[in-house]
This record gives sequence, C-alpha cells and structure tokens, in this order.
Amino acid sequence: MSESIYSWNNLLFGIYPYLCLSVFVIGSWMRFDREQYGWTSASSQLLSNSGMRLASNLFHIGVIGIFFGHLVGLLAPYAIWGTIGLSSLGKQNIAMYGGGFLGILCLIGGAMLLWRRLTNPRILATSRKSDIFILIWVLITLTFGLATTFTTAHHASLGSADTMMAMAQWAKSIVLFSPKPELVANVEMVFRIHLTFGLTLFLLFPFTRLVHIWSFPIGYLNRSYQIVRTKRRTA
Amino acid sequence: MSHFLDRLKFFSKNKETFSNGHGVVTIEDRQWEDAYRHRWQHDKVVRSTHGVNCTGGCSWKIMIKNGLVAFEMQQTDYPRTRADLPDHEPRGCQRGASYSWYLYSPTRIKYPMIRGRLLDLYRAERKSGKDPVEAWTAIQADEAKRKKYTGVRGLGGFVRADWEEAKEIIAAANVYTIKKYGPDRIFGFSPIPAMSQISYASGARYLSLIGGACGSFYDWYCDLPAASPQTWGEQTDVPESADWYNSTYIIVCGSSLPTTRTPDAHFVSEVRYKGAKVISMAPDYAEFCKASDLWMPVNPGSDTAAFLAMGHVALKEYYIDKQDPYFQEYARKYTDLPVQVMLRKHGDGYVSDRCLRASDFAGNLGESNNPEWKTIVFDAKSKTFVAPNGSIGFRWGEEGKWNLLPKNAATQGEIEAELTCIEGKDEVVSVGFPHFEPGEGDLLYRNVPARKLKLASGEEALVTSVFDMQVAQYGIDRGLGGANVAKDYNDANVAYTPAWAAKVTGVKAADLERTGREFAYNASKTNGKSMVIMGAAINHWYHNDMMYRGVMNLLHMCGCVGQSGGGWAHYVGQEKLRPQAGWAPIAFALDWQRPPRHMNSTSYWYFHTDQWRYETLRGDDLTSPAGKGKYKGYSLADYNVAAVRMGWLPSAPHWNTNPLDLVAEAEAAGATDEAGVAKHVIGKLKDGSLDVAFADPDNPVNWPRNLFVWRANLIGTSAKGHEYFLKHLLGAQNGVLQESGDGRENKLVKWHDEAPIGKLDLMVDVNFRLNSTGAYSDIILPTATWYEKNDLNTTDMHPFMHPLSEAVSPGWQSMSDWQIFKNIAKTFSTLAEKHLGTRKDLVALPMQHDSAFEMAQPFGEVKDWKKGECDPVPGKTMPLLKVVERNFADTYKKYIAIGPLMVKLGNNVKGLDWNTEEEYEQLKVVNGTVKEQGVSQGMPSLEEDIFVCDSIMRMAPETCGEVAHKSWSALSKKTGIDHHHLYAARHEDKITFRDIQVQPRKIITAPTWSGIESETVSYTSGYTNIHEHIPFRTLTGRAHFYQDHEWMLDFGEGFCVHKPPQDMKSFGNLSPSISQGKHIKLKWITPHSKWGIHSSYQDNLRMLTLFRGGPYVWISEVDAKAAGIEDNDWVEAVNANGSTIARAVVSQRVSRGMALMYHAQEKIVNVPGSNTTGKRGGILNSVTRVVIKPTNMIGGYVQLAYSFNYYGTVGCNRDTEIIMRKVADKDIDWLERPLTAEREAQLNPPGIGKR
Repeated sequence: MSESIYSWNNLLFGIYPYLCLSVFVIGSWMRFDREQYGWTSASSQLLSNSGMRLASNLFHIGVIGIFFGHLVGLLAPYAIWGTIGLSSLGKQNIAMYGGGFLGILCLIGGAMLLWRRLTNPRILATSRKSDIFILIWVLITLTFGLATTFTTAHHASLGSADTMMAMAQWAKSIVLFSPKPELVANVEMVFRIHLTFGLTLFLLFPFTRLVHIWSFPIGYLNRSYQIVRTKRRTA
Repeated sequence: MSHFLDRLKFFSKNKETFSNGHGVVTIEDRQWEDAYRHRWQHDKVVRSTHGVNCTGGCSWKIMIKNGLVAFEMQQTDYPRTRADLPDHEPRGCQRGASYSWYLYSPTRIKYPMIRGRLLDLYRAERKSGKDPVEAWTAIQADEAKRKKYTGVRGLGGFVRADWEEAKEIIAAANVYTIKKYGPDRIFGFSPIPAMSQISYASGARYLSLIGGACGSFYDWYCDLPAASPQTWGEQTDVPESADWYNSTYIIVCGSSLPTTRTPDAHFVSEVRYKGAKVISMAPDYAEFCKASDLWMPVNPGSDTAAFLAMGHVALKEYYIDKQDPYFQEYARKYTDLPVQVMLRKHGDGYVSDRCLRASDFAGNLGESNNPEWKTIVFDAKSKTFVAPNGSIGFRWGEEGKWNLLPKNAATQGEIEAELTCIEGKDEVVSVGFPHFEPGEGDLLYRNVPARKLKLASGEEALVTSVFDMQVAQYGIDRGLGGANVAKDYNDANVAYTPAWAAKVTGVKAADLERTGREFAYNASKTNGKSMVIMGAAINHWYHNDMMYRGVMNLLHMCGCVGQSGGGWAHYVGQEKLRPQAGWAPIAFALDWQRPPRHMNSTSYWYFHTDQWRYETLRGDDLTSPAGKGKYKGYSLADYNVAAVRMGWLPSAPHWNTNPLDLVAEAEAAGATDEAGVAKHVIGKLKDGSLDVAFADPDNPVNWPRNLFVWRANLIGTSAKGHEYFLKHLLGAQNGVLQESGDGRENKLVKWHDEAPIGKLDLMVDVNFRLNSTGAYSDIILPTATWYEKNDLNTTDMHPFMHPLSEAVSPGWQSMSDWQIFKNIAKTFSTLAEKHLGTRKDLVALPMQHDSAFEMAQPFGEVKDWKKGECDPVPGKTMPLLKVVERNFADTYKKYIAIGPLMVKLGNNVKGLDWNTEEEYEQLKVVNGTVKEQGVSQGMPSLEEDIFVCDSIMRMAPETCGEVAHKSWSALSKKTGIDHHHLYAARHEDKITFRDIQVQPRKIITAPTWSGIESETVSYTSGYTNIHEHIPFRTLTGRAHFYQDHEWMLDFGEGFCVHKPPQDMKSFGNLSPSISQGKHIKLKWITPHSKWGIHSSYQDNLRMLTLFRGGPYVWISEVDAKAAGIEDNDWVEAVNANGSTIARAVVSQRVSRGMALMYHAQEKIVNVPGSNTTGKRGGILNSVTRVVIKPTNMIGGYVQLAYSFNYYGTVGCNRDTEIIMRKVADKDIDWLERPLTAEREAQLNPPGIGKR
C-alpha cells in the first residue's frame, strides 16, 4: 500500500476517532449546559400515532441491541470469552446472526420511521433538517453494518475470525489511547466505510436529537416515591 | 454551576431518607427552577385595559420584561365601595388574561400590507409619470385593472409595503372619490367608542373633516334596543353591576352573566346569599341558569308572550283586584298610563289612535307654546282634562315646566292624574287590538270604558286612558263584558293569560303565574327593587322591540324603573361612553365645522350589499288591519326610501349626485346662502332631476367607494348577510346560494336586472391582527395594541375611568390609530391642495332627537312631500340642508388642534348647551398649542394621544366638575328644579390622564345620564327621572306604554303585542338537491361565547386550546340523532344565504329545534371549504340576511326621531332557519390549492348566475 493510503488510514482510524469522541463528549456537555430546553427526543408521537408502536419499537429494540452488541463485542476483555468457553469463531457467529437479526429489526423500523417522517405532512412540517438527516445517517450506517455480515459470513466459511479480532483490537487500541490504525488498514472496504460512518455518528451526536440517549431514565427504576430537594447547600 | 457536572454527583445527592425509604432528601442543583421564576419576573408594571367591547372595562397590570410584555394580571386597587356593598374587584377574565399572546403572535400585523396586484398596478401608473391621484384615476378608469385586484379579495396575496406608499394610495383614493363622486361615498366603520375613545375619534375626526360618513354600530349590531328610545327617549341607560346587589328579585333573560359579564357575575352570587330570588329564562340550559332558583325553558323567540303573561298577573292582582298605593302613584307620575288617547272608528268598533293634545281644546288649554306637543291627563281633583308639566312641548321654546311634578301646567296647581275612567265613563266601547299569533284573529275586540269630549274643532271624540286600554289589551276581565278577556288564568284561549302563554312559550303556566305575582309582590314591598337583566340573546330578534316592551311594561307596572335595585338591566355592547360630551366634538370635528355626516349602518348595508334585492319579507305581511294602511304594497326598502325623503333617516350617499357639485351648481344658478342652495335643491327634487341615492342604490354613481374599518371586524363578525357583503360590496368569492329577484317588487327603488359586483374601490383595515376584515381589504395598516397606546375606556358595568397605556412602544412599524389617521390626513392635505382646494358641501341632516326638530311632524301623522301630501320644507317635511365649507388642504392642521367653534358655539349634550371657553383656555396650557403656521396656530394641540385624552376629560361633565356645574345649570333652567346638589361635592374636581393611570377614578354625576354617582345609591338608569323629576325625553315626558305614531299603529305596535319569530323564507330559492339526504331544519341561535369577545380571542391560541380549536355548533341529542350526527362530526348549516361548516357539539344542554353557534367564530382558524358552495366554509353570518323594520325608521317625532346609534333600523339576525347535515370526514376539502384563472373567474357558487 502506498504512503498516502496509510496517511488516510491514520487520519481516519488513528486521529478521527479522537476528534469524534471529543466532540461527542464535549459537545454533549456544552449542549446539556447551554440548551436545557433543546435537550429532548423531540417525539412526534402526539402529532401522529399511527404505526408508531411497531415502527418505534422495532427501531429502538434493534438499535439498543446493536449498540450493546458493539460495546461488548468490541471492548470486552478477551479473557472473558475464554473463561466462558466461547471461541472467537463462536463469538463471530453470535455477532453475525444476533447482529444481523437486530439489524434487520432496526432497518425495518427505521425505514418505517423515515417513510412516516417524509410522507406525513404534519411530521414533515415539524421536522428539523437535522431530524431527517440523522435518521438517514443511522440507516446508512446500519446498512453498511448489515453488509459486513456477508463478508464476515465469508470469513466464517473459511474458518477465520481474524478480521473481527483485528477490529476489536483496534477498538481497544483507541480507548486505551495507543491507537493502532494499521490494524484495520487491510480489512475489506465495507468494514472501513461502516467504521467511518459509525465514528461520524459520534461526531454528529451532540447536534441532533440523539442526545436524548444520555437521558435514558434509568434512575426512575430505583427512585423513592417522594423526593425533597433541600435548599441546604453542601458543606 | 454546570448542569452536566451536577449530574456527575448522581450517587452523592441523596442525603437522608424518611418514611422507611419511601422518601428521600436530596441536595442537588435547583437552578432549573429559575426558569419558572424568570417567567414571572418583570421590570415594570403599567396599567392598561382591553379595548374589546366586552363591557368588562377591567383594570389590568401589564408586566414588562426586557422591553416586551411578559404577561398581564388583574389590578386590585379600585376605590372601595360603600360599607354594605361588595367591591368591584378583582375584575378580569380568562380572555383578558390571554391578550398578551396577540402582541407577538403570527396574526400580528407588523407592517403596512397592500394587496400585491393593486400595488403592482399603482406602481406601474406612478412609474409612467402620473401623480398619485392621476395614478388612482387611471386604475379606476380601467374595469379590467380594477377587477384584477377586487376579484381576489379574501384570497391572500398581500405584500409588505412602506408607510409612505400606503398613505399615498389611501389619500389618492379619497381625493379621487371626493372629486368624482362626492365625499359621502367615503365611509368609515368603527364601533363602540367607549372601549377606546381616542382610537374611535381618530378615523371619525379625519372622515368628518373631509366630509366622509361615519357609520353607526349600536343599531347595526342589534344591541340597540329600539324599545328603549320608544319608551324613554333614551338610547340606553342601565344600572352598574353593583346595583344587582341592591335587588331582591331578579329575572335573567337573554344575558348569560357568568359567560359574558364574567367580572361582574359575583354580584348575583352575593345577592343570592343576601336572599334575593333569581329566575332564569332561556331556551338552553345556559351557564346562568344553574345559578338561579328556577329555570323556565322558553321556546326561542317567544319571550314577549312570557312577559305579557307575567304582566297580566301583576296588572290584575295589583291594579284591578286591589290598588297598590306605591304602584298607583308611580304610574300616575312617571308613566303614560293616565294619558288620554283618542279612539278612531274602525268597522263596528274602534281602534286606538293618537294621544289627545292641548291643541284639541278650545284656547289650547292656555298653552300658547307648542300646544300640539302637550299631552293630556284627566285630573281626579278638579275633574277636568289638563295638560300636565313635562310633555315635550315644554322642553322647547319655554323654561321651567319641563318636569315630572304632578302639576297642571297652566295653573301650576297640584293634580292627581286619573288612571281609569271606569267610574266616570260615558260609554263602554269595543276596541280592536292587533294580534299576531296565527289562527287567533288579527284584531281582538275588547270592551273599554271611555269619555266623550267635544274638541275645539267641534268634533265629538271618544277618549280613554292608556291604562284602560292597556288592561283590556292584556285580556283582563274588568266586568265590562265583551269577548277576548279572561276570568281566570287558566283560560288558554285568551291572550295574554299564563295558560295561553304556556301554549306559546312552552313554559309552565304555574311558573309564569308565580313569577309574575312574586315579581310584583316584591316590588310592592320594596318600592321597586325587582329587576330584569336582559341582553342580546332576546334583543336580536326581528321583533326585539316587542320583547323589550313586554319587559318594560312589567317593570313600569311595578314601579321598578329608576329605583336602585330595580328596573331593566340591558347589557349588550360597551356602549357607555361616559365622557361623551367632551369626546363628541373631537371625534366628529364639531370644533371646526358642523354638522358631521352620520349614517345608520343597518340601512346602509341593507342597500349597499344589495340584501334588499333578496327580500322575502313583505311590508304587508307585517301590518295590522287597525292601521290607516296608506303605505300598502310598500316593500321594506320602499319604507326606508320614504323615511329618507321625509327627513327621518339619514342616507349615505344622500343624493344621486356629488353634493359638492350640487352646491356649485346652486351657486352658479344664483344662490348666495344656505337658504338659496336649499331652494335650488328643493326645485330639483320637485322636478325629479335630483333624488335620494337609495332610490337607485345599484347605480354606480351611488355606490360606496372607499371604506375604512378600524377597531372593528366588520366582515368577520358583524356582517349579517356576510356572503352578500362578499358578493356585491367586495366582488369576492362568495357563497350566496340564490339569485336575487324576491326584492324586485318595489315602488320606490329602481331594479337593475344585473346585480352590481364589487362596489368598493378601496377597503382599508386598521388592525393589530389579521382577521376576516383584513383578509378582504386592499390595504391593512398596523396599529398599536391595547398595551401600546394611550387611550380611554369606560363601561356601563362600573363608574370608573380607565386608561389604556403605552406599556411598551408600538411593535414593528405599528402606531396608534390617532397617529395613523393624523399621518393619512397629512398626506391627504398635500394631495388635496392640488386636486380639491376649497369646496362647499351640502349635508342633509335628519330631524334629530334632542333638538327642537324632534317636534317636526305633529300628531305622528305621516305626510310625504313626494306623494304631494305636503311641501318639501327642510327641517319640517324633509331633512335640514346644511352647507359646510371644506378647505381640504387644511385637513391635517385642523386634525391636530381643537378648533374655534368650541369657543364660538360652545358645547352641548342631549339638548343642553354650555359655554366651554374656560376649558379651552386651560387646554392651551395643559396640552400646549400648535406651533405650525396656518389655520390652527396657537390653538390647543391634539398632536399626541394623551393630549386628546386630557382634552376629552376637561370638556366632559363626568370628568370636570366645572363642566358638570355648567351643564346641570342648563338643565335646572329647563326643568325649573335645582339639581346642583347632585355634583356639588365634586365641583372643583378635574380628572386627568395621569390620575387614572394611578388609580381608577369615579366619574362625576352628569346630566348626560339618568343615574347618579353617590355614596348612598348605586348607579341605575332612570334614577333622576324619578327622584329629580327630570322628564323622560318622550312625547309625554313619561315612560311610554303606548305609541301613537301612524306607522306604529299601521304595524300594530301601539301597545306591546306578542309577535312570533318572523319566517324569513330562507329555503325558497335553495336548490332542491340540498335538502336531499339526511338533514334537519333548525333555528339558528347565535349567542355570545365563553372563549372570546366577539371575534377577539377566538383565534388566540390560549383560548383555542380550551375547546374544539375551531368553529363549533351546539345541537340537541334528539336532533343530532335525527340527522345522523355524532359529537365532533363536521356539519354544514345551509340556506339560501350561504353555508357554514363547523364541528357539532351534541349536548343535552340545548333544546330541540335549535342550532346554537356562538357569535363571531370566524373562518380564519380550522374552517374547511363547503361542498355546497365550493368556497371557504363561512362564518355564523354566512346563513343570515339582515332585515329592516319600518317602525324603526320613524323620525321627526320626539322619541321616535333619529339620532346616531340612538334610533333607526337594527341589524337583527335571530329569525334565521337553517338546514343542518353531516359532512363526512372524507368529503372535507381544505381548498388548499393554488389560485387558477378558472377559480378566480368563478366568484359565485356553481350554478348561480349574474342576478
């Protein structure tokens, strides 16, 4: 490979991830501090409820599953898999079938949501450009993600989980601040496109309705029935 | 602190728990709460109110933050009432509290807006080198160009313009119209001055200076109860709401107090705790019914019958069975019951005729001044006929005897007016009383005692008292024999027993009987503290004057009128313009030239929107066989034309020629003065070369050309016959579902086969929000809101002066109405200098009430010069002809200063004159003087809004003690009674604008009104008539049960009779296809709403969210079922007048047979197209058509004499019927398509032709 390709690879998978994650964290922070009233999922369910139960649930179940799949698959310490006796091929299979299934749920739900957003005049009229844009972006990222399953299936048929392992190693290298972009320099193009779109999702995150993810109301599960917010200042 | 960092303390925020862990105490960031604190924080508070014709007149705190209005809140600093009376405050309701939404709402008019097509045309003409007037002339000369912009009225297409251009077009159109057609082709419509007095005055002053006509509103809104001038010679005077608390028995009928008098309704709740009984009567279970002790569900439009039945009981039990001393004395002194009436032979019997006069006696009973105008009673003491003090003849031409003291005018000896001659009768005669209930005969003969009398002419006459006839007319048996009288209340065949009324009204006879008895019993025990609260819901019927007279009869029998806690309490619009006398000269430019042009709007719109062409009601359907029938075969329009010719009603335009040219022509023919001009005009009238415009209203020379609407929503709210306005006046897309032709049969009005389309050249709307009127205008000017200008506001509900204040500067490019018209005047003056110069104008003035001309036509005899019955004599048999010189170029300079006539001629109100020189000099200091060179240099300035406020208050007796002194002195001279004690404590008070911004200030007692301001009684109408013996301004000087004018008798309304709702025949011309399919016919009832004041607030988001978010119509469950309608279905109401679409509200609250659509729901929010008309679904008035009543046209006869907003035709719309049917959701068409040439050309609904 030529020098310039390596430079691009370094930029995209060595430097760009930090840019995206920085914007993701700092951007979210800034928006949370400065735009409390804009911090919302911007739900349009009040304007039109037809088909929403199916579309929204499909999309959200799929996307949440995929998110945690990626998180665990890419970042869980390798030793864990050995402990529970899961081979890398086995893990790859889970990723392929599980991810594929969730991806399809998400794709169907997402397509329904996009269709609704573009064709329902009330929804279209109240949509911001960023709402439409981010939904399309998610769906493209998802489509590339789904496309990788075919490549992975090919790898699996050859009995190899190397590509998957390489990408997990790369992900770890990023979060451990010793980026090794060369790990993904030679994986198939479809993986790299998916990675780029995925990283960019983090970049776009603070500027869109996606910020609502931060506010997943997990605290409600364990909240007391009555809350007294005291005026006392902490010492 | 950072919200984000704070969240990081998630695990440490819980400090302690309580209640076994069910509760937790946290220490966490509470900054977010500041958002809610900031919402209610503000930088300053300014007092203002809402200029919205709601009668609330509530004082509000306007909260300003960062230069914007943040919100409003009720003021609570009213002066306390006296110890035994609840306070007025807090005042203000949900509607007022939502007003601030408008300031920054999408409906706000921010810039001058002009119809794009008109602006293109105008700019093209200007570019070709023409000056503004020439440019306008060129556009008007080309029919295609004119139609290009008039044909798309109501279809949007406005562009933002700048002020200069907007003013220029308006001024050019005015100049062109004055020159070509005459100034009386320019018309202004603005209602209810009391709600924002300076704003009203602005346009009215401009129009009055240039000779334009100002249209009335009180009558047009059908809020004017014609019965009030008929009975008392008083436009309307009513108790303040606090006086309800002084009552002990109240009937409420046609006025839903909690809905429409929200800030006042508490007085009724409070007086119920004090023990008062409250009876409600309404066809629906309206909001006020639930706060009453008895609800009498009445058939719509049958209220007269109910009140006549109650009167029957009161009269029988308190006058016949026994004689209540309080009632007897009241009836003798303050009513026309003892007045003697002549009987006229009719068939085998008699009918009632005119009142006996002093002139009927030899030597005129010693009365040399106006003996034809002095009515007669029989004095029980001297056993002779005498002319008592107080009749109208004593008001003019002499002093000191115009009072209600029981005295023989000739001797000033004490008299006791006899009510009945039953003891001293010469004969019992059979008198026919007109009757209108179908199937019961049209003349009911009853026996009446009478005296014989030899008249000065030598004829023998039969006379009897109003009382004797009134008892017979109520169907009460006095043992005189004869038919049509009832022995007891259960006789259902005799009008007006309770049993008979139960048949007609649907109310239980026992309820009517008990209520009538209790009402009288209570009044007898309390000296008149029985009250009837009434309003628009019954006043909007065609025969509203009968309904009201039915109530007034009961009140007068029981001595209630003029007593605190008693009397009528009629509440409609905010008509109480307290400082009227100070306001009128400024509003109508009486300080510069007199008289102004006034027009009664009902007749105006009836003719100019061509509703007369569709008239289904015939004059002969309405008349009684008891009349003289001289006008048999006349159409309603004919009656109006005759009334204009005889000087009864005004007309705009008046002549079928330019009045400026008329004077010029007269002068060319040698006339040198007013009399000379009049002579010339009379000559032309006689030879037929000149006629009144209404004889040919569809001739283009008689069309109205320019229309200004400000402070109003003429098209969207009050246009009864809305679709006819669109069709003929505006030439816009319209939903009229018939062709004209029913009105073809006229004697006096010329018929053109092809109906005129688009009469107006220019319509200008001045508004802060875009409503239907703006949508149909050619130019919309942005005005300041009620929180952005300085103005005055008063109401009938309380006695305080309120300011509107400039809490924030007018938004965007808006400015106050006063400044808008000042600016237009300036541009107009510039253009007028070149094109108009100085011209003489001829104003034709009707014989007005409260002037000596109210005695123009004696005995109520109708004499029409056109028919050769008399000579045309100005001020006698035809209008006064007044020449007014107008230097049009001085318009602006006159507008900005109080003119010299205030010194030269002084001021006046209700026939009282006083000198106003002192106030004029004071105003030079208070306001400063005009510095600009010219005609007004050195005169008190009116350049700023506050100057106008202060000038009004300085010149009005209500707000300046010295003026009160002068006006009361003038009245004391007339009555011969010293009234000075009424205001004495406040002789030196002067209320200024700054005072009322500090706190509401109570007005000073003034002779303008019949109530007083006092520490011991609340304001109530008629108080000074009873307690100060100031006569009612009627023929007899007393309250009238009987009307003796020829036309009144022709229409059978001498006495109050029950007349059923009038059949408007509004389905006759309707395509039969419309009544196919499931539908139901319903009465169309349009009361006032809870979520709006007229059309205001109904488009306010805060109000829209409270109910269905768009137009709705209430129907009963039974009717809904019959028509297959379910709650919230789309429904269409349709008849030949048009169609309207709304959501159905199906409710038990509404009785069967009626559809109830709240008044003034417009078509600007959530109104789809109608499938029937193919046009936008319409408003409540899309299915109505205005109808005029001849008896309201009578003039030149004391209380039956025209005065602006005082007497004249009223715009009733209640007698309408509609077909209601469901519209399926799938058939709803929102008409959201671009305008095509085809659609533009299709102005009428499909299949409707040019007639």
